[in-house]
Amino acid sequence: MASRSWWVMLLLIGPLVGMSFISAVRTYGELSGVNGTAAGVGEAFSPLIGIWAPTFSACELAAAFLLPFVAIRLVSGDRQSGALKLELQHPMPAMARMSVKGLVLLAAWVVASVPPLIGIVLWKIYGGTTYAPELAAVFAGHLLNAGLTVALACATASFTDHPSTAAILTLGVTVGTWILNFVAAVHGGLWDRAASYTPTAMVAEFQHGLVRLDAVLVACTLIALGCGLGAIWMRLGVPERRRVGESLTAGVGALVAIVVFARITASWDASEARANSFPRPDETTLARISGRLRIVVHLAAEDPRRVDLEQRALSKLRRARPDVQVRYAAATSTGLFEQTSEHYGEIWYELSDRKVISRATTADGVLGSIYEVAGLSAPALAEEDIFRGHPLAAEPMGAAALFYGIWPAAVGAAALWNRRRDS
Amino acid sequence: MTPGLHVRQLHKRYGAFAALTDVSFTVREGEVLGLIGPNGAGKTTLFECIAGVLPADSGTVMVKGQQVPGTDRGAHLFFMPDGIAPWAAQTVAWALDFTMGFFEGDAARLPGVIERLQIEPLMRRSVGTLSKGERKRVLLAIAMLTPQPLMMADEPFDGLDLRQSREVGAALREHAAVGRTVFLSIHQIADAARVCDRFVLLSAGHVCGEGTLDELTAFARARRAEAEPDDPRRGRASPDGLEEVVLALT
Repeated sequence: MASRSWWVMLLLIGPLVGMSFISAVRTYGELSGVNGTAAGVGEAFSPLIGIWAPTFSACELAAAFLLPFVAIRLVSGDRQSGALKLELQHPMPAMARMSVKGLVLLAAWVVASVPPLIGIVLWKIYGGTTYAPELAAVFAGHLLNAGLTVALACATASFTDHPSTAAILTLGVTVGTWILNFVAAVHGGLWDRAASYTPTAMVAEFQHGLVRLDAVLVACTLIALGCGLGAIWMRLGVPERRRVGESLTAGVGALVAIVVFARITASWDASEARANSFPRPDETTLARISGRLRIVVHLAAEDPRRVDLEQRALSKLRRARPDVQVRYAAATSTGLFEQTSEHYGEIWYELSDRKVISRATTADGVLGSIYEVAGLSAPALAEEDIFRGHPLAAEPMGAAALFYGIWPAAVGAAALWNRRRDS
Repeated sequence: MTPGLHVRQLHKRYGAFAALTDVSFTVREGEVLGLIGPNGAGKTTLFECIAGVLPADSGTVMVKGQQVPGTDRGAHLFFMPDGIAPWAAQTVAWALDFTMGFFEGDAARLPGVIERLQIEPLMRRSVGTLSKGERKRVLLAIAMLTPQPLMMADEPFDGLDLRQSREVGAALREHAAVGRTVFLSIHQIADAARVCDRFVLLSAGHVCGEGTLDELTAFARARRAEAEPDDPRRGRASPDGLEEVVLALT
């Protein structure tokens, strides 16, 4: 707790979260201004999307740009100061030592997550509603993200002789995942699949209340790999060639585990609005369809309609019917010169020997086409199947004083008290 | 004194540079052994290889006849490196307390060590703010609190003034007298001569001699006679004192 970098992170995360929270509450309040019903736009008044996703996004920033330095300081600091040479003489296994460091860092992260929790309390005071499962999903997503950052930083700090090299490597990997996301957006396919396991994509899903078992297991595998590599390279007394061999073995083992885990399709929609699922009657009807549904999409990877189709319909369809087969038939990434081709923009639905062609990319349009090809009629939705939202026209009273004034002052005072107690 | 630790044919290279070549010697139980050699002789590399915090290219370290891999040597010996400032943000009291807890040190020894090394006034200061000499005394206190039968310290007198060097030397001798084996890497010959029972001379990564001062003197005399058979001073003039022996053999 004496690490200055941790105190700096704690100091900065308050205003960062505060800025996001205040902005989110104001926007939410403006949209709810008439205090009207939200029929048709209910999802817009979900606190998960309107408040918690942006508020916790500040934690994502802190995890990417502040937490690595805290982790690197803890691991590299021991190496730089010579403490590692003393600690290595204790018979404690290196993996246990690295795990302890990782747990200490995660505990430090949990303490740094207090500002969003303050935001939740303020929201309740304003009269807002909260839904525990979706909040838990958001918190878990950011904890996993922090775990990935800590594991990566521990590994790079153990690889390298100097903290600055470790910091460059860690940020390099973070930027690399952003590039992967960009490439996936352009090329789709396998890139898209790989990009769904990047911290950014994973956090985005958790922030929308979607908990994918495969993403959780892959993240845990990567965390274990990072800690393992950190432990391997921490052992200064082991010949380098052996450490390289052990690292390769760990890497191959993790890769095999990731390939296996990536085949798991189980997921949970923790959002109150069921933002990642079709309405329950639709899911029941979809489950009744026998045979394998095939969908051929004639849209390029960068076409906004394809993004709409994926986010609004196909991602939900895959949760309801994991056996659905989706194939993208576009020849280019932009689709710029395919617009005039005969089938571009079409979505083909095939079931047994029946085929339906549509151009709709909305959830209702996709469901309609599926029901048509399956020869079923759309189920009627009851009132309880529709999320009406929780509009709240509130001002972020007291939030600025709390996040910009009281929080930094409290952290500063605690840091001073801690320093004096130690001296 | 019975043999406690054997180092056999230790080799270590940094790229093309041979830091240690065929290093072999014995540390006997209960003695204060000094590793002596000029700067760059390979003393720190040798200590780190023995302690298992640096991999040797080849060679073995045996304790009581059993070969001990680098990762297990912490059970038999404790090595205090030179020039480190561990847990710099923590207080000296915390560092000593951590040593007691982490390395399972002997709590009964703590008051005596604090008094002998005069670190009571430093207890509430953070390790990172200590002067070189103060830090050295704290590091020696940490080493003296650890429970392993063999204590190794790299340059224990570096940064200490004359009075402190003598006091620390006396403390180390007292520490050995209660049954612990002490192995010190020293480049100040006068300090080594005052504190150590036996010596290992290291030069350019080679062991040039091992033994008590008398044994090394006789060895140096024999070497001179061998190298200069026609010297009229042969048999009369001989290296006098450890400094002369070191100069003659390294």
